[in-house]
Amino acid sequence: MHSSWMRIQNVFSYFTTVLFALGACIAVSDLLTPRAPVVNSLKFTNLQVVRGRPHYYSSKHEEYAIIKFSLDADLSSLFTWNTKDVFVYVTAEWPSSSSASANTTTNQAVIWDTIITAPSSDYLGNYGPATLKKLRKSAAGKSIDPSRGKLVLKNQRPKYQITHPSGKIASTEDVTLRLHYDVQPWVGVLMRNHNVDVGLWKKLEGSVSRTFTLPSLKKKDEAKKAKA
Amino acid sequence: MSQQEKISVYNLADLKNTTDDAIPNYLNSLGFTQSHTLSDVRLGLGYLALLTAAACFAWDYQLGFEATKLPTAAAVALYAVLNTALTVWIFFVERGAVYVGTSPDGRARVRLTSASVRGAVPEYRLTAEVSDAATGRVRETVEVRRGFNAWFDAAGRFVAAPFQVVLAGQVGVIGQADPKRREAAAAEGKGTTGRVVDESVSAGYTPEMLAALQGAEATGAEAEAGKKGGKRRKA
Amino acid sequence: MLSSLGNPRQAAAQLLNFGLIISTAFMMWKGLSIFTDSSSPIVVVLSGSMEPAMQRGDLLVLWNRNIWAETAVGDIVVYSVKGKDIPIVHRVVRKFGVGPKAKLLTKGDNNHSDDTELYAKGQDFLERENILGTVVGYVPFVGYVTIMLSEHPWMKTAMLGIMGLVVMLQRE
Repeated sequence: MHSSWMRIQNVFSYFTTVLFALGACIAVSDLLTPRAPVVNSLKFTNLQVVRGRPHYYSSKHEEYAIIKFSLDADLSSLFTWNTKDVFVYVTAEWPSSSSASANTTTNQAVIWDTIITAPSSDYLGNYGPATLKKLRKSAAGKSIDPSRGKLVLKNQRPKYQITHPSGKIASTEDVTLRLHYDVQPWVGVLMRNHNVDVGLWKKLEGSVSRTFTLPSLKKKDEAKKAKA
Repeated sequence: MSQQEKISVYNLADLKNTTDDAIPNYLNSLGFTQSHTLSDVRLGLGYLALLTAAACFAWDYQLGFEATKLPTAAAVALYAVLNTALTVWIFFVERGAVYVGTSPDGRARVRLTSASVRGAVPEYRLTAEVSDAATGRVRETVEVRRGFNAWFDAAGRFVAAPFQVVLAGQVGVIGQADPKRREAAAAEGKGTTGRVVDESVSAGYTPEMLAALQGAEATGAEAEAGKKGGKRRKA
Repeated sequence: MLSSLGNPRQAAAQLLNFGLIISTAFMMWKGLSIFTDSSSPIVVVLSGSMEPAMQRGDLLVLWNRNIWAETAVGDIVVYSVKGKDIPIVHRVVRKFGVGPKAKLLTKGDNNHSDDTELYAKGQDFLERENILGTVVGYVPFVGYVTIMLSEHPWMKTAMLGIMGLVVMLQRE
């Protein structure tokens, strides 16, 4: 009895050791795979600032900006056998008005995001049956699908209107859009985009749009006035 | 003591541990004075480490993590130091010693070390280092290798006599303290006060030999019945 | 074996072995806490709000020092707010200001709306001090054991009992 219990223990501890070693190897294998994501273009296409409730659950009226944008990016090299999904998001960034001289970005808000699943994690994604079928078909027989991660968006509506705690956002200057990604592995280290090359992983080129100024508050106000 | 109980003969760790346990009983019964310094230092270091961890747990539980970061960091460092010291002590100072003691006449110091069983070889490997008690100079080093079946019966019971004969026959100081066993070993036709001996793994006692040894055991025990620890040896 | 309890030194040594296993595990955890500066450097995902990236039972390794960069938009953070015991793993989606008083807004990737509703009453944003750590490492599924144990308390008792018995009975 005693020795069979010990055998079970030994088998179990050996099993877990092997499993963890394997996991570590897989995690390290990521470092050996080159990554060269690139953003070909990122620019705003339409700007709008209105006053109202940004969400159905907001309690107060405030100014919010709607930034439409176009994007052409190729993040397909982020997909390796250890990639579970890639979270891609576009932020708007602007310096705070009080320290405009400082070049550091102090306000940052996500305006749009998407989750690109790797073929291995399609089943986990929040997809409808039709989309899932299409994804399955496109990746049939492949563990890495090169078509994933190629993003072409034209005049995309933002998913999130941006606000500022002060309630004011109209006429904000020096706003830029920036594309980010966050690679979620099956096992290992989460890796965000970086501004310097890390080993075989190239920095994300062209991820920042040129600066622009948000328009002054009008449209909805005017529309309201017109109604009144 | 442990001789009474049966162990699984397939569990090499149990075989070794039971054999280890029999050594102090035997040697102390011969009048050797056991030194506990090694295990006492080990226990001291260990319990100090345990105390550190317990204190750390107590203040963490009472005051939370944020309030106790500094003492916790200190405790972690202290625990690491104590644990390292403990490991160093076990691997480099104790080195698997199962018995350290002085011979009855007080002139020799013995240190018996048993190697942990390797692989699936059912073999007991004992190193006896005999040094001069006064100067500390090593007088002799004897290595004994025997199959466990030399002193375990098929049911897994430890039989003290053949084991004691091996010790008395191989290690001079022990033989001196226990001439009866030494004679038995000599009768067996093996080396008496052998130097480094490479015994065949299986000692192979004949039933007659075992009977003779049992007789020796009985007389030996009677002779020492008055002495302290005699009953322990009999088992 | 139990017979060794007759010998105080051996009994003490056996008790020590048992104690050292537990205390070493505890001190390693505390060491990791100190190293990562997080009271809970390893957490288990309890909800599906970060799917598909993280499922229930996945293990997350946290880092709570801002050595190279501040907590930024895009970080997946574990935070806890006043009055709610269970920490939440969500992504930072907005950040206004810099330093420890910067206002942070979080949202679960799989949730429709941001976390304003989850915060304490009257709290619209998180601050740095609400955050227990940023997720830096990920190991799938391993933490499911703890979910099982917390959902079925008898398993915890049974496991501790068996572990204690094994350690007390064996010697090596």
